[in-house]
Amino acid sequence: MVWLHGDSLSDQDPAALRYPGADRVFVFDRLFLKQAQLSFKRLFFLYECAAEAVQEIRLGEIVEELQEAIRQRGAERLAVTESVSPRWKEVVAELKKKIEVEVVPAAGMVDVPDGFEAKRFTPFWKKFGREWEG
Amino acid sequence: MKLERFSGDREQVGRKFAEVMVGLYGETPENAKPSPYSGGRKAGMEALAKFSVHGYANTRNKIHGNVSRLSFYIRHGVLGLREVAESVRNRFGRSYDAVKFWQELGWRQFWRLVYARLGDRIYEDLEPPKVNLGKDFPEELPEEIQAGKTGLVCMDECVRELTQTGYMHNHARMWFASFIIHFRKLGWKAGERFFYRHLLDGDPASNALSWQWVASTFSHRPYLFNKENIQENGGKKWCERCQAKCPFDATYPELEKRLFSL
Repeated sequence: MVWLHGDSLSDQDPAALRYPGADRVFVFDRLFLKQAQLSFKRLFFLYECAAEAVQEIRLGEIVEELQEAIRQRGAERLAVTESVSPRWKEVVAELKKKIEVEVVPAAGMVDVPDGFEAKRFTPFWKKFGREWEG
Repeated sequence: MKLERFSGDREQVGRKFAEVMVGLYGETPENAKPSPYSGGRKAGMEALAKFSVHGYANTRNKIHGNVSRLSFYIRHGVLGLREVAESVRNRFGRSYDAVKFWQELGWRQFWRLVYARLGDRIYEDLEPPKVNLGKDFPEELPEEIQAGKTGLVCMDECVRELTQTGYMHNHARMWFASFIIHFRKLGWKAGERFFYRHLLDGDPASNALSWQWVASTFSHRPYLFNKENIQENGGKKWCERCQAKCPFDATYPELEKRLFSL
């Protein structure tokens, strides 16, 4: 099963492309939404993205919902595309205690080696943006 | 719980979704309306195909300039950064406009890298401010600002577009942030939260770090604007309707003296 989240919400998601036969699931994170009180427009935009991208949309506590979706499918493991969000990292750490999780690297515009310390844009772009410069 | 797939036209689907999600969004259910911008890969691909990069570099700072409005799709990974960049390269080749556009896409990746490094530290001042920002900042923006009722037509119109559509032009975001931080001395955090709640492309890194860039806690100097800048990039229509005493009608040295010498 592939978990699509808010940073990678289409069928072109790298984890989805790696496992084209797997079901894709998106979860609205009830706890986060209750506290964040985002505008309805944002939520609906996500719903429309998810409606096109996944087989199943769920609402609730993310880890529990994903576990339940996996159980219902009799799936053995979960693939997900990497995100830099601390919340995503927390969820994945929690998931890994319970199920097998494969993290697929996210695609960027330019290749940046692990450990690069991004501080100001201009030096970053001079170093890595050459392919896209005039 | 599994969420049902709602059928019907967009408004009907919106109403049903609003019922299920009640309590999980900011508006009252009767005010819960979809944005005019549709979500989904299909809508994203259509917007990408329609976007021409011609004129981007010279007009992107104008409120009615040729901007892509692809940020909603890019933020949520519906369109990939590289995919968008390559689409422009394949259709228009390398040009001054394309290079400028690619740089703006590059900013998105840059913000993500900073976020990867700093995590939730992006929500605190990353550097000491370079000017006096004031103190005792509120948790939320004053109601009249959130409702677009300050009487300053330029600010109010930008806020109204944000709350009604989920979109605000990038230059308007900079004006508004500068207004909140430097003219009203409200700090950057309440404004950051306000944008995050409403922007369809609301991204923790891009949003918080851009507010800090305007504040000068993630840049060498604060970002300021004046009436001339508004008129040059937003047109004169706002000013023609405005009855307020304009706080922006000054030269930059005058503004710096007024705003930062306390």
